[in-house]
Amino acid sequence: MIIHSVESLAALDGDGIRYAVYLTGCPLRCVYCHNPDTWIRAGKDFSAEELFKKIKRYKPYFGENGGVTFSGGEPLLSADFINEINEHLVKENINYVLDTSGCVDLTDSVKKAIDNSSSVILDIKFYNDETYLKYTGKDMSKTMRFYNYLVETNKSCWLRTVIVPGINDTKEDIDKYCEAIKLSSNVKKWELLAFHDMGFFKYEKLNITNPLKNTSPLDEEKLKILQDYLNKSINNIIE
Amino acid sequence: MEAWRSFVKGEWNNSINVRDFINLNYTPYDGDASFLQGPTERTKRVSNRLQELLREEYEKGGVLDVDTETVQTILAFDPGYVIKEDDIIVGLQTDAPLKRAISPFGGIRMAEQACKAYGYQMSDKVKDEFKYRTTHNDAVFSAYTDDMKKARHCGILTGLPDAYGRGRIIGDYRRIALYGMDYLIEQKKQDKNKLGLNDMSEENIHMLEDLARQISFMNQLKLLAEKYGCDISKPAQNAKEAIQWLYFGYLGAVKEQNGAANSIGRITTFLDVYIQRDLNEGTLTESEAQELIDDLVVKLRLVRHLRTQEYNELFAGDPTWVTTSEGGISLDGRALLTKTSFRMLQTLYNLGPSAEPNITILWSEKLPEPFKRFCAQVSIDTDSIQYENDDVMREVYGDDYAIACCVSAMKVGKQMQYFGARCNLAKVLLMALNGGKDEIHGVQVAPEGKVFEEKVLNYDDVVEAFKTYASWMAKLYVNTMNVIHYMHDRYAYERLMMSLHDTNVERLMAFGISGFSVLVDSLSAIKYSKVTPIKDERGIISDFKREGDFPKYGNDDDRVDEIAKWVSEFFYNELCKTKTYRGAKHTLSLLTITSNVMYGKKTGATPDGRKAGEPFAPGANPMHGRDSEGALASLNSVAKICYDCCQDGISNTFSITPNTLGKEKKDQIGKLVGILNGYFAQDAHHLNVNVLNRDKLIEAMNDPLKYPNLTIRVSGYAVNFNKLSLEQKKEVISRTFHSKF
Repeated sequence: MIIHSVESLAALDGDGIRYAVYLTGCPLRCVYCHNPDTWIRAGKDFSAEELFKKIKRYKPYFGENGGVTFSGGEPLLSADFINEINEHLVKENINYVLDTSGCVDLTDSVKKAIDNSSSVILDIKFYNDETYLKYTGKDMSKTMRFYNYLVETNKSCWLRTVIVPGINDTKEDIDKYCEAIKLSSNVKKWELLAFHDMGFFKYEKLNITNPLKNTSPLDEEKLKILQDYLNKSINNIIE
Repeated sequence: MEAWRSFVKGEWNNSINVRDFINLNYTPYDGDASFLQGPTERTKRVSNRLQELLREEYEKGGVLDVDTETVQTILAFDPGYVIKEDDIIVGLQTDAPLKRAISPFGGIRMAEQACKAYGYQMSDKVKDEFKYRTTHNDAVFSAYTDDMKKARHCGILTGLPDAYGRGRIIGDYRRIALYGMDYLIEQKKQDKNKLGLNDMSEENIHMLEDLARQISFMNQLKLLAEKYGCDISKPAQNAKEAIQWLYFGYLGAVKEQNGAANSIGRITTFLDVYIQRDLNEGTLTESEAQELIDDLVVKLRLVRHLRTQEYNELFAGDPTWVTTSEGGISLDGRALLTKTSFRMLQTLYNLGPSAEPNITILWSEKLPEPFKRFCAQVSIDTDSIQYENDDVMREVYGDDYAIACCVSAMKVGKQMQYFGARCNLAKVLLMALNGGKDEIHGVQVAPEGKVFEEKVLNYDDVVEAFKTYASWMAKLYVNTMNVIHYMHDRYAYERLMMSLHDTNVERLMAFGISGFSVLVDSLSAIKYSKVTPIKDERGIISDFKREGDFPKYGNDDDRVDEIAKWVSEFFYNELCKTKTYRGAKHTLSLLTITSNVMYGKKTGATPDGRKAGEPFAPGANPMHGRDSEGALASLNSVAKICYDCCQDGISNTFSITPNTLGKEKKDQIGKLVGILNGYFAQDAHHLNVNVLNRDKLIEAMNDPLKYPNLTIRVSGYAVNFNKLSLEQKKEVISRTFHSKF
């Protein structure tokens, strides 16, 4: 399997200390993507066993709740590979988290990858088909089906939304997100992330158009205000 | 005895045995930091005065004042105070805070240069006094061979303590508090009598002379205490006296010696016994206990020596390495952790962040979780502390060792170290390729050998040549050290510090490697890619052409990490082949302090792609920018190096941005604890932790007054960032800051 890269210390993507594996390929083309270099399948080739061997070296850091995070690109395009690695991970008692857009078909393989994960980080990119299509290139139906599957199977998950200035950075936008997603007790938190320009250089390097190149990073203060607002709105569901 | 009231008796009552006293009497604490108290009004006044003094010192170019008339000795100078009516723990090196004295015993020329560097002129009186006196520096150079001088000159062996005090000796200052000076003097006299029964071999005579010198200075220390109105001939009666007695020992040591690193040892668990007794007796409150530790730390932050510019190049930021060692586990499995370990860390809040004392946490998987979390919090808040693995050191050094300088462990009062700076192994590789010639000056330094041709280098051939030259280097290095320490013992013997050791002291001789990661990556480049040497007009290889990529140290890649392991093991074994002065045990460190900048300057281009003159990475660190798999991969590579062959320490400095650890402080603490647990579980030795953003350093570089107390861990010690030279600041900023977005 082609791996874009690994990050041995990914402390933000899931509980505890995590080893992140960035898989390649993505069905979406989000305007604010900071990893456009993962859209195509380019990187280093690893067998499941080779990658597992690397992961295992970090077991001393994982403690009680750390583990692996499969991110990307869209990791679930490589669901078979994840399932294959998991056969090794299970034996070592190492958990994994999926960091996904949910914009994939719920095949048996994808379901298996979800079921075996310790939790899922699901991007809720936009709040209706129209905006979703406009800013990612696809409609929202698959993500909604994916989310519903998480609810049905009571899979522990975090939701994430990137806030981009001028696109979805108002309280009215937050209200729309809350209307679109019917929260359930499997959702542990809904985290807003600030749009930033640290991935801009990748667009230049890859020679592809950066649709937001004139957009400034989102102000951290503003993010905090929106996060507080969101937390209040969803307070009765998430502690 | 009244001083020992309510203490549990044991071995320590029959002979000097502080370890036994601690083990029988300390109160382990496994709770959290919530009991700690903030600064009292008095502490705030003293702390403000301290900040004023530090600012004045900075504004005057780094030295506040120099007494050019008075030679520093234990009894030189009248008493000095920070604020006389507010000082609880008393004693300064001179008669005023931050005023420096001259200490020409290491070398009169160096003392003179040091004065000049800060715009002072050494008095003629002092010059006359030392005119016919042999200093350590004179003596060493009179015995140096041509080979030694050449190796020193071209920069394969530099930073050696031949022009400054060697330091890295820890007196067991606790003994003064527990036993009082009279008992200690009596013990030394008895030891001397016993030696008198032996045949007078050279070593026996040497020891007799050492003892005579020790006893004379022990008596002087009593007089120093008397000047401040204290009688230390008898044991300390309470916590305040225990701290004061112990501090007098340390003060006497830093008045007598200007050694590079005079560390204070493992003191808090010992002192806690006294503090706990006073608390139980109702004569001390928690706030007063904290105040005592705060005031001790104020004094430790004021320690200064007058240094030359050359010295500052090696050891940037005017460090004194008043290293304290906290935590660790006893041989019976209890954490050697008390409330006073917490109180020591609390000084970084009560008095603000600081480079000194160099607080070192002796980390063990068995340390109580609340303490681990408090340490991580202190790291995140102050960047002032470092971590060393008690689980590996305890096996070698027992449970009453302490750290001297940055990473050097030694049994307190039972072992001393002959400090040996380091040898530039990256340069030895270049010398091996050039048949023993120095690539910068073009002179033949090592024995003449084959010069490699301008063809793709064959790994096995290079390794063979490297082994030959490294072996030559090792022998010369040990012999050079033997000369230095013979003369240091003779002309600049640490009389007071050694009097607070057992007479039959065990000696360690600590060697070091610099350019470690450059050498390792260079060998990897030769092995896994195509490297072709390029000769200049002198016929000397001074550059390289490289085709293809190669595995780099710092990515947890065994292909190159095995080379790293091999280099350290090979060189250590080579060192062990040459006998040391006084039968010292060979030890080795991967530690550069800040000399990685200076060493890099003296080294030509290397096969790994590093350009001529560029700084090395510090200590055992991977070269910055070459670790592509993130922070933990980098830590895993360093963790592979075996402590068995590097028992003087494997230094690793680690900088991470706060946001990489987590959004909330609580998360950041938990994750940092996880990193430390995971790293040390792999038998890694040392970690300096900085949690900060590079931008902050750049801001501080441009506007030093914006962050007057910005402290940063550099290499086994911390510095006030503003005290670094511009070159050193740039090097620190260029280091890898692990970050993720």
